[in-house]
Amino acid sequence: MPEYDEFAEEEYSSRLDSKTFRRILKLLAPHKSWVIGFLVTIAIVSILDGYFTFLNKKIIDEAIVPRQIDVLNRYVFRYGLLLFLQASGAFTFIYLVATLGERIRYDLRKAMFNHLQDLSLSYYSRTPVGWIMARVTSDSEKVSDMMTWGVLDSTWAVINILTSAVFMLIINWKLALIVLLAIPILLFIAYQFRKRIILQFRTVRKTNSRITASYNESITGVRVIKALGRERDNLAEFSQLTGTMFASSYKAAWLSALFLPMVQIVSSIALGAIIWYGGYQNELGWITIGGIQAFTAYVTFMMWPIQDLARVYAELQHSIASAERIFSLLDASPEIQDRPDALPVDTLLKEIEFDHVDFYYEQDKPVLSDFSLTVKPGEMIALVGPTGGGKSTIINLLCRFYEPKRGTIRFGGVDYTTLKMRAIQSRVGIVLQTPHLFSGSIRDNIRYGSLEATDRQVEDAARLTGAHEFIVHMEKGYDQQVGEGGNQLSVGQKQLVSLARAVLSNPEIFIMDEATSSVDTLTESLIQQGMEELMKGRTSFIIAHRLSTIRRADRIIMIDNGQIAEMGTHSDLLRAEGHYYRLYTQQFRHQAEGQSEILSGEEI
Amino acid sequence: MVNTSELDIRSTISNNRLKGLWNLMAGYRWQYLAANLALGGSALSKTFTYLLLRYFVDDVLTPGVYRLVPLVAAGFVALAVFEGSMTFASGALASRSAEGIARRLRNYLYDHIQHLPFSFHAGTSTGELIERCTSDVDAVRRFFADQAVNVGRVVLLFIINFTALYSLNGKLALTSIIVVPFVVASAIYFFKRINTAYEKYQEQEAVLSTTVQENLTGVRVVKAYARQDFEIGKFETVNETKYRKGRHLMMQHALFWPISDIFCGMQILAGTYMGARMVMANTLSLGSFLAYGGLIVWLIFPLRTLGRMIVQMSTGLVSYSRVAKIIQEDREDLEAGSSPQAGIQGDIQFENVSFQYEVGSPILGDVSFSCSAGQAIALLGSTGSGKTSLVNLLPRFYEVNSGTILLDGKPLPEYSKGFLRSQIGIVEQEPFLFSRTIRENITYGLNRSVSDEEVYQAARSAAIHDVILSFPHGYDTLVGEKGVTLSGGQKQRVTIARTLLKDPRILILDDSTSSVDLETEAVIRSALENLMRGRTTFIIAHRIQTIMTADLILVFDKGAIIQRGTHEQLVAQDGMYQKIYHLQTSIETELEKEVKRARI
Ligand SMILES: Nc1ncnc2c1ncn2[C@@H]1O[C@H](COP(=O)(O)OP(=O)(O)O)[C@@H](O)[C@H]1O
Ligand SMILES: Nc1ncnc2c1ncn2[C@@H]1O[C@H](COP(=O)(O)OP(=O)(O)O)[C@@H](O)[C@H]1O
Ligand SMILES: [Mg+2]
Ligand SMILES: [Mg+2]
Repeated sequence: MPEYDEFAEEEYSSRLDSKTFRRILKLLAPHKSWVIGFLVTIAIVSILDGYFTFLNKKIIDEAIVPRQIDVLNRYVFRYGLLLFLQASGAFTFIYLVATLGERIRYDLRKAMFNHLQDLSLSYYSRTPVGWIMARVTSDSEKVSDMMTWGVLDSTWAVINILTSAVFMLIINWKLALIVLLAIPILLFIAYQFRKRIILQFRTVRKTNSRITASYNESITGVRVIKALGRERDNLAEFSQLTGTMFASSYKAAWLSALFLPMVQIVSSIALGAIIWYGGYQNELGWITIGGIQAFTAYVTFMMWPIQDLARVYAELQHSIASAERIFSLLDASPEIQDRPDALPVDTLLKEIEFDHVDFYYEQDKPVLSDFSLTVKPGEMIALVGPTGGGKSTIINLLCRFYEPKRGTIRFGGVDYTTLKMRAIQSRVGIVLQTPHLFSGSIRDNIRYGSLEATDRQVEDAARLTGAHEFIVHMEKGYDQQVGEGGNQLSVGQKQLVSLARAVLSNPEIFIMDEATSSVDTLTESLIQQGMEELMKGRTSFIIAHRLSTIRRADRIIMIDNGQIAEMGTHSDLLRAEGHYYRLYTQQFRHQAEGQSEILSGEEI
Repeated sequence: MVNTSELDIRSTISNNRLKGLWNLMAGYRWQYLAANLALGGSALSKTFTYLLLRYFVDDVLTPGVYRLVPLVAAGFVALAVFEGSMTFASGALASRSAEGIARRLRNYLYDHIQHLPFSFHAGTSTGELIERCTSDVDAVRRFFADQAVNVGRVVLLFIINFTALYSLNGKLALTSIIVVPFVVASAIYFFKRINTAYEKYQEQEAVLSTTVQENLTGVRVVKAYARQDFEIGKFETVNETKYRKGRHLMMQHALFWPISDIFCGMQILAGTYMGARMVMANTLSLGSFLAYGGLIVWLIFPLRTLGRMIVQMSTGLVSYSRVAKIIQEDREDLEAGSSPQAGIQGDIQFENVSFQYEVGSPILGDVSFSCSAGQAIALLGSTGSGKTSLVNLLPRFYEVNSGTILLDGKPLPEYSKGFLRSQIGIVEQEPFLFSRTIRENITYGLNRSVSDEEVYQAARSAAIHDVILSFPHGYDTLVGEKGVTLSGGQKQRVTIARTLLKDPRILILDDSTSSVDLETEAVIRSALENLMRGRTTFIIAHRIQTIMTADLILVFDKGAIIQRGTHEQLVAQDGMYQKIYHLQTSIETELEKEVKRARI
């Protein structure tokens, strides 16, 4: 069983954090009037519940025993009226509570989703998508259920217990005290159980995240699983997860199931005491038969609210475990954030300067060290070099997906961390190394680059990047659905579409990170022809391995091991006969050796 | 613990949802019976509590036999203890069964999804699938944990208490259940409404999951275009719709509950009134009336619960059909067909193969070629011309629409898919890594144990060994989801190593060095040259150097082979290959000139 624990998941102490609880309550703050509304109606409903039992007692003592039919009729009429009142109360509070519940889910999901948009890429590279999804979907439901039905049930229960207590005190205070004595005992038991249950629920929620992540990963990676035939091992691993889920859920349920009978027994002891003591009181004439009936009714009915409290209490543990996870997401602060006084950006067509930049993703694995580079506005820079050298990392820094650990990056002399992040990113058009499309039509995907673009502009962008050709050959043309992540297109087609998307965004800085690596040579040469036009008036960064793509650059920078190994124009670098020269002449020599006769025959 | 693989859930799926749920209970039915009986026991002891109360009032208090009081008190406690242990037993049994069933279902779904064909996955959104596997499975679990045990309890409570009531006074008992048809009718009415509302609600939830999932997987694009506000707006619409659907759903509950409460309350009131009149008319003892007062509540209470359960059951039923829908999808059969002990040679023949993903848009048309074991076949062609689609036919990820593919002279479908896939190693065009360590990624899917040296050897051939060693955690470095913490070329090389370690007879390299620099590619190529010896190899690439040594080069355009032959033959032919070749070499010749010029 592989250990995923290296993805540090927040661990929680085994103590119940009352801070979490208070924070959950705060979620209700914006909906105060709703909360008050439902609390009031629930109070009315449950006071009526208590009153019905009291009314029963009165019917026995004042109507039945003295045989008073008109009194009976009066009470029954009153009872009936109150029933309708209670039912309309019930409608009101269910409606209020349900709406509130949906509202809180809505609020939580919105808060999480919005927050997720601000989190930095570093968060995403260490947090599996499935974990996040579990939080946004199931954890938010757990919390909102607690905040509404949980609050409702417990309010109902508490008021019920209180009204019962009051009515009991009215009937016979001595007996009432016996019953009330049971309450601290119940609280003590509850405390003992809580500690044990929450531990289990935390495991349940954590496992839930992992199960979701497993589903997510095996669905997105299903091609590889099939190709490698790993179905059986996967199932075995997954089965361990569900095993953990089973064990903890069962244990939690078991503990809750044990808790209820404990409550029942304690309250029955109270009942026994009442019978015993009440019997003697009756002997002395201090309590009526109706009174005893009422007492037994109150005690048995008090068990419901108490059981309810117990159940809510168990669920509370569950939702606190969920809430902890939600809050941990909301508390994850974006590593890259605008300063409060961040400046707007008018244009990025300025000098770009990397000034002694150090960068690493992980502390002990430097990627860039002491990297300095100045780029003039409008310049076309090509980054070449072995994979893993740090080319994409330079781009990540330039777009401020990450920030330098040391040193500064400046646009027109201004440290870019003082600028508004989105203003930078909306002026940069980047074609990522791994093309990603959203499900929807090809048109929608290209238009993602500029939401207001007309169909005409979308098509122009596609023409410029050589995508138009294949798109019109599709059955539905621009309206062809691309499937999730673009998986119904070939990889090269995805690259062309994402290239068109970047072109449409009309950026000031244009970045192509191996943007045409899977595109065939003929199409690529078409793109090359349009390229000069494309790059006019923009600063551009091109990462590529093919010579054809890079040689027109104003400056070629060879990146090796996070440092600039060589820099200059194509011919400068050839003249220098360094790494670049070796790299590209080797390629051509290799070919020349094998094909010399043909080459000479084909001399152009 | 119940073995999780023993039940073939697919064969239990039924269009009658209740029957399907009943089938899912296989292996746990006795536990449910026991849980229900235990609940019955606890209901019984509750009834006895009321009978004891009657005895207490009629035979102890009224005649004043006070010495019996402590005994009665002890009786109450004893009944409670019994009731408590029964409640516990049923709770524990029910949750054990429900969790067990849920676990079995989760495992089955997981396995089922891995066995569903590519065509299913291409057309289904991940978020929606996940939603069904988590939220809907949970609703089914709740059905088993809450509703399934309660049915028995409610029915038992009703029967027991009705019998008790009947023994107290038959007429009173009969008039106490007039309300039953009303409650049932309203429950059924609302059942239908809630069913529809919940279905819509769950559908919306699936939309929501999909939106979140897509946003998260596309986070880089969202950031690159600073489209956060757009995404937030998109999510807001989805979220808002879900909120409204949720409100609509809950409105049904809000209507149903008070209605059934009024029915039940009126019934209790009517019973009490009748009873009171009977006591006054001396046809009922006071003790019986008191017991009646307790029992009627316990008669009506289960009825009320029954109504609620029927209504809540619709949730479980809707979720059940959503889950069942996935389970009913046809699996790929990995076993059917032969799996020759001796393995395969690797002669491959395509005979008039046509293929399409969707009817009406042919991808490959009438493709024929053949190659013998150990040869290298190169595929070259424009983007989207069907190269990847063609190689995906070999491991039978997709089936041909017409024509045949022969492997060692036998049609491909005669081999089992599992066997074929074990013989074919494919390096995908888009490398996919799992969020585990690099070592686990390289050895992923191997069903034999390998020594570290073997792993290193494979990594060396893929020119990634030294890179891995330079990482602080070496082979134990954890890669992020989909390998995000590696550079593009590193990912590709890890997948090459993974495929090499598998040691397949047929090797497919689908544009697998596109993100690798030329130097590294040369290293990989020379390492591969050794490895390719004796294996049939398919190479898809765009650079002529990569493919020119192949035994057969196929040039594709729009799903058809337009040229074929060796490099020498093709270069001499007028056509696409020559055009591409010239394009690539012209750069090289220019370079040559430039080098010369630079030298001067
Ligand atoms: N998100 C990340 N977390 C940790 N390490 C990373 C991450 N992204 C890249 N790296 C590492 O940084 C180095 C440089 O990667 P990159 O800039 O992508 O290289 P390339 O020059 O091929 O674009 C590689 O060794 C890679 O493993
Ligand atoms: N899963 C799919 N569903 C529908 N169409 C697809 C799917 N995968 C690829 N296609 C289409 O099939 C054609 C060939 O794709 P592919 O074989 O990947 O091309 P390439 O030659 O670039 O590898 C493309 O037009 C693509 O849009
Ligand atoms: Mg890169
Ligand atoms: Mg392809």
